[in-house]
Amino acid sequence: MRLTTTPYLRIRRPSPTTAEFTVSTLPPLTPSLRMLLLSITLLRTVLSLQLVLILYTLWASRSSPPSSSSPLSLLLAHLHHALTSPSPPARLASYLLAHIPGYALAPACAGALYALARARVHDAESLLVLRGLGVQTSGGRFIPTGKIRDVLVNEAFRGFEVRTYLVVVVDGEDDVVVVFPRLLPGARIVERVWRGVRECLYEEGKRGWEGEGGGRGIEGGWRC
Amino acid sequence: MHPFSVLTLAIFVAGYITARWALVTRLYELAIFAWDKGVIVRATQGFGFLSLAFLLVFIPVQQIARTEAILHDGLMRVFWPVDIATSDLPGVIVGWRNSSLDVVVIAVLDHVDPKSVENALKTGILLRNAPHSVPRIFELCGQPSMHVLGVTNPSPDSNPDPSWVRAATSPAQRVPCVTCPKASSIQTIVFERPIPLRMQYISLNPIALSLADKEDSSLYSVSDASEAEDEKQERRNKQKKHVLVEKLRSHSVVGHAPSQKDQALAKIVNQINWTWELEHLLQKNVPLIGPRPKRTLSVSERVVEHATTMRDYVILCIWDMIILYVFPIIRRVFILALLGHRLAAEVLLRVLEWRARPSSPALKDISATAQQVEIRLQQFCYWPMQYVKLRLRKNDWESVTTSHPDYIRFYNSLWLVANDVIIGIALGSYIIENAGWVADTISMLLSTYTIQALQNSISWLMGWPAGLKLNSELALFLGDLFLWVIDYWSSCIQTLQPLLPHIIWFIGFSSFAGASMPIALFSDLLSMLTIHIYSFYLASARIFHWQLTILLSLFQLFRGKKYNVLRNRVDSCDYDLDQLLVGTILFTLLSFLLPTVVVFYLNFAIARMVIISLKAIFDTLLSCLNHFPLFALMLRAKDPRRLPGGIRFELRDTQNPRPRNDSKSPVSTISSPPPTSVIFLKPTPLPFAAMFHQYFQMGHRIRKHYLSPRVLFCLVTGRFVPPIHRKNLYSLQYSMLPARRAGIMETWEALNSLPAKKRPIKLHPYGVTTNTTMMTLNGSRRHMNGRATRGL
Repeated sequence: MRLTTTPYLRIRRPSPTTAEFTVSTLPPLTPSLRMLLLSITLLRTVLSLQLVLILYTLWASRSSPPSSSSPLSLLLAHLHHALTSPSPPARLASYLLAHIPGYALAPACAGALYALARARVHDAESLLVLRGLGVQTSGGRFIPTGKIRDVLVNEAFRGFEVRTYLVVVVDGEDDVVVVFPRLLPGARIVERVWRGVRECLYEEGKRGWEGEGGGRGIEGGWRC
Repeated sequence: MHPFSVLTLAIFVAGYITARWALVTRLYELAIFAWDKGVIVRATQGFGFLSLAFLLVFIPVQQIARTEAILHDGLMRVFWPVDIATSDLPGVIVGWRNSSLDVVVIAVLDHVDPKSVENALKTGILLRNAPHSVPRIFELCGQPSMHVLGVTNPSPDSNPDPSWVRAATSPAQRVPCVTCPKASSIQTIVFERPIPLRMQYISLNPIALSLADKEDSSLYSVSDASEAEDEKQERRNKQKKHVLVEKLRSHSVVGHAPSQKDQALAKIVNQINWTWELEHLLQKNVPLIGPRPKRTLSVSERVVEHATTMRDYVILCIWDMIILYVFPIIRRVFILALLGHRLAAEVLLRVLEWRARPSSPALKDISATAQQVEIRLQQFCYWPMQYVKLRLRKNDWESVTTSHPDYIRFYNSLWLVANDVIIGIALGSYIIENAGWVADTISMLLSTYTIQALQNSISWLMGWPAGLKLNSELALFLGDLFLWVIDYWSSCIQTLQPLLPHIIWFIGFSSFAGASMPIALFSDLLSMLTIHIYSFYLASARIFHWQLTILLSLFQLFRGKKYNVLRNRVDSCDYDLDQLLVGTILFTLLSFLLPTVVVFYLNFAIARMVIISLKAIFDTLLSCLNHFPLFALMLRAKDPRRLPGGIRFELRDTQNPRPRNDSKSPVSTISSPPPTSVIFLKPTPLPFAAMFHQYFQMGHRIRKHYLSPRVLFCLVTGRFVPPIHRKNLYSLQYSMLPARRAGIMETWEALNSLPAKKRPIKLHPYGVTTNTTMMTLNGSRRHMNGRATRGL
């Protein structure tokens, strides 16, 4: 059971002049994979809650417990009692608090929370091509057709390998825009996207968009 | 044909031939002549050839052209506002037609006839009662007129124009189902209209929060030589990159000429910005072209209405009088006060900008306080101009978006100054109340850190620091020298001590002009009270540098070489024995003395760096108080559509997937619904990185100045590290101000050019109330339309 696959291409093309190319690493969703993803989400939630509890314990140990009798503070007191009653997570929190100084614990917890919130299991990047309007990358960058000088496939060294990638040359800018910058799919996908983009933008090459399978649906045949 | 008329015709022909027999024989001869010469054969050949050409060439070409047109330019683009009210009744779509298959929908008018709408658009009836000038709409939207674009929910028996759009809408369906007989594929681009009353708009480029990058070059031209060298390097890099880009451009394989649709995008963005206001105007005027909905009020009804609105009317009259007679006086007084202020500001600014020589620094380049005062004065000079510009916005359509960045800039700077003053009042009252304590703390800090700490460290260095065996005699000499100067300086500080509470009180008082003033004053105070550290640093750096250069040249002598100034290289040289001997002895001597000098130099260099970083903290605080994009951040949280950062498209799944069998022949797509893609156009809000772009730039500049290898080299060789030029640091704050401030006369003219406040009502001179005036106007308009069924 693998959580990710090598990047593969999915094309959505409701009309010949509009196409969306999505490269993603999400494998086909089988029931067992669904269960696994769900359990990962649950684990993340539990871990985040534990971190929040540690942070709360840290805060509560610094400030005095609420003493006034307004409803909010009563509620807070109840919450405090419930959170600090001897349960495994609370014991873990107080154990950590006793052994690690607060100035190290708080940033570490915050950092871990941030990492938990940001970490992704899968990645997907897309390129939307609209004839007459322009090209839009998944980073939210929209390039109008008038500013597209060229769309081309390029090669570059990265570490000890050669990567093939798709770039859009924008008029009047010093830097080119790399399409699919995080996933950097293989040469076959890139070439296919390149053909698709040129055909969609300028109507070049074969006029065979009809053969691409009615617009929607996963084109799963292209796994690199 | 009737036999009798046949007979008549025959008799006529026979009679004509008998009468004109000569003509007939002539014609007969001509025919025989032509037959003999082969004219008829040739004519028949020509006819046959032409028909063949027509059949073989023109008909196929026309056929090909038609199919190609459908294939190539059959893309229909419809921009449809998603939030216009849609019903399932038949209606007329009105909007802009940018090219034959590129339309932007403004409104759907219900219960009207397409023909009459077309007429009304031509005669301008639908744009009646426009609050501002109508030609301006067409000028900004880039089209000479609006058109009827199509119909919604057409009845099956109607037969609209083939270029018209047919849209099927219903209240439940957000996105209409659009078809057009001329189109082979359709892009329905759906957008939510920006509401101009809330100053929302969309734009292709991110909104510019700072004024346009003006005289960047002039900003740096006055910097010192080393900075210029850096700039030169940067410029060279930029040029290299530019050449690469040029090369890439010349390597483009196929250049695609942009089509009409490609070029229309900027226009379309404007049209989308105008949609909301235009739709409201059109909907307001729709009753003018429909059947008469209302009759005018009867006399009794009018009397009742007058009686009920009498009180409001009297209040309006009084308000009108105030506007007529009191407002101009207030305005004049205000303008005069502003101009007096402007004059004072001009004098002060001249003082602050005065330079003895063109190359020498002005007051504002040296002192943070002067700089702060200058920024405030410049802002005060700029505000009236900004305000005038914003007031003129009121006399134009709301959809004109060019002044929105100015609005944000104006209120941002107003708000920052208000914030600054509020924080300043809090800070100032604290400082004034605790002036004694603050003065004590400051003098304590001064004596501890700038005098005692220095004395301690110097005496530590004098007695073999950290087990390092330095040259005692030289260390004693240097230490005594510095200690003596410090003693003298501390006595100076002692005499200053009683004055300190007064200075603190003054600083506290100055903070009522904003918290930035005391910060700037403290920054200046810091640099004044640490002059001795600065001079120690300079002196020790000088000694160290001098020793290092001597060592280097003696090292060349040691190797039997010599630096040739004329050729800028090291040549070998034959030294005499005594030269070599003395040089080597001196080299040894100096290299043993070097560590002692190095530790003293390091000591003062570190102290100097600490002071520079303290001043950097003060400067950062100042730039936060003066430039923080507070208003923009607030807008970003409140209404992100007021800060457009570009547009974004999203492809939506269409409800009815395209049938697959229609794809074989392009002609058959006309009968079945063409493939349609539904795209959502969404504005992207300005990213935070763009809001703080200036800060990043300033940070980058500071890093480049202080954390570069050049600075490290300067530190190691004991050369002077120049402090960053104030102008570089403050380019951030000047980005909110124009390069050249408006002159006094200019301000005066701008202030006087403001239009007078509008009167709430137009009182009729002969006592006829407004209501009747308006009614007469309405009535006369109906007469002009020629549609009024009943007169007034």
